Amino acid sequence: MIVITFLIKEGFKSLIRSKYAGAFAILVIWIALIIVGLGFITARDALVTVNDIKTQFDIDIFLKKTSTPLEIKDLATTLTRMREIEEVEFISIDKAANIFEEEFGEDIFEILDYNPLPPSFTISLNRLYRNPTSVESIISKLRNEEIIDEIKYRKKFLLLLEKYQQTVLIVIVFIFLFLTLMSVLLISHSIKMTIFSRREIINTLKLIGATNNFIRSPFIIEGLLQGFIASCLASITIFLISYIQNNYLQPIFNYQIIIGYSYYISMIIFGSFMGFIGSIKAIRRFLA
Amino acid sequence: MISFNNVSCTFSNKGGIKNTNFIINEGDFVFITGHSGAGKTTILRLIYMDLFPEIGEVTIRNYSSKKIKQKEIPHLRRKVGMLFQDFRLFPDRNVYQNVAISLYAAHYDLHDVKNKTFNMLEQLGIKNKWHHKPNELSGGEQQRVALARALIINPMVLLADEPTGNLDPKASIELLNLLYEINQNGTAVIMATHDYSLIKRIPEYRLLQVSDSKMVSIT
Repeated sequence: MIVITFLIKEGFKSLIRSKYAGAFAILVIWIALIIVGLGFITARDALVTVNDIKTQFDIDIFLKKTSTPLEIKDLATTLTRMREIEEVEFISIDKAANIFEEEFGEDIFEILDYNPLPPSFTISLNRLYRNPTSVESIISKLRNEEIIDEIKYRKKFLLLLEKYQQTVLIVIVFIFLFLTLMSVLLISHSIKMTIFSRREIINTLKLIGATNNFIRSPFIIEGLLQGFIASCLASITIFLISYIQNNYLQPIFNYQIIIGYSYYISMIIFGSFMGFIGSIKAIRRFLA
Repeated sequence: MISFNNVSCTFSNKGGIKNTNFIINEGDFVFITGHSGAGKTTILRLIYMDLFPEIGEVTIRNYSSKKIKQKEIPHLRRKVGMLFQDFRLFPDRNVYQNVAISLYAAHYDLHDVKNKTFNMLEQLGIKNKWHHKPNELSGGEQQRVALARALIINPMVLLADEPTGNLDPKASIELLNLLYEINQNGTAVIMATHDYSLIKRIPEYRLLQVSDSKMVSIT
């Protein structure tokens, strides 16, 4: 325990001794984490918005006008039992006429003297199935039903949403990986510089019987500290950004940043982990 | 305690030692003499296993150069104290920290680091300098700090590689007297030097003379 306390203190001292190299690494990781952190929030909110739009995505199943109530009831049962379908709503010809009037402000009976609108079902899908592939699969299953005349959904819109969602994800993952790699390399580089500048001391430590683990530990703690400090600073910065946005800029941008404690905790754990990996990388090469 | 059995360890740019045989017993005070590049430092490095022989075997108590594993080397070095001409102190630490680090590195009875360190500093007459950085001390004081660092882990043998090389004559004699005192308390001392005037000051000693990588005489 005494040795562990000593090594932790040494890690702190090592960070202070590294001066500019350590401070520069912290600064760059701080900025990288702010970009990653804000990128994560933006991507999360963009994806939530896309999913919200998708919840309003419905499939309309138009039935043949000759469909009997029994056939309609059977189809309703089939639809309800399908796990892909979340909600089923039957639109009778009278309800269809009402919708027409609501949307166009005209009574269909006054225009045509009869109601040409067919009965239909409007179905909404479970979240997992709101994608073009699943929709096509559901439609191909339903095509065997004889009473179905036509199935319509906004295919192009769904494809566009899907593409947008994938692009956002790819960009975010790319930025995330790039900045993470850059931060790890920076920490590693900073530790390498410290190791290089202290190579004489390291040799002397070896001569007085210090084990490799004893020599390595302060450098690992130094890397951990760099990541920890940078992630704490990034968390504070993101908190301030969200506070300013939510309290002063919301009327201008009409956007509220919602961040839970788990987000900050995850960021600090992630930053410290990056520091750990960076220092391990440096030590493997220089203190083998 | 220490034996060299037909040991050869040479370097591409000459130097090193060839076909060397000797035994050092517990409590011996041994001088290794010879001109620069004769192989004095090579012998010391072979003892603390910073170098390994190409031919032959070096044995230090139960540790053999042929059998020792990499992870056992720190354990061997905790039994071998070392002094260097350039002191090799940690410049960013004070005297106390320079000495105490040996205890931490050796995981040596850590409950009483403070008392042990201050006792050692007192024995070597540098207790009042405990808070000074090495660059605030004279050469003689720095070598005493290095000696305190080497002795605090109770080594079975103390290796000194030209320890007086950077000291004035007065400080050199003081250091030699300290080494003799340590030897009288049972610790073997092996000192590489080319200062023959110092050797005569020790009443009882052994002499290993090396020249051009060969052992030319052993007493």
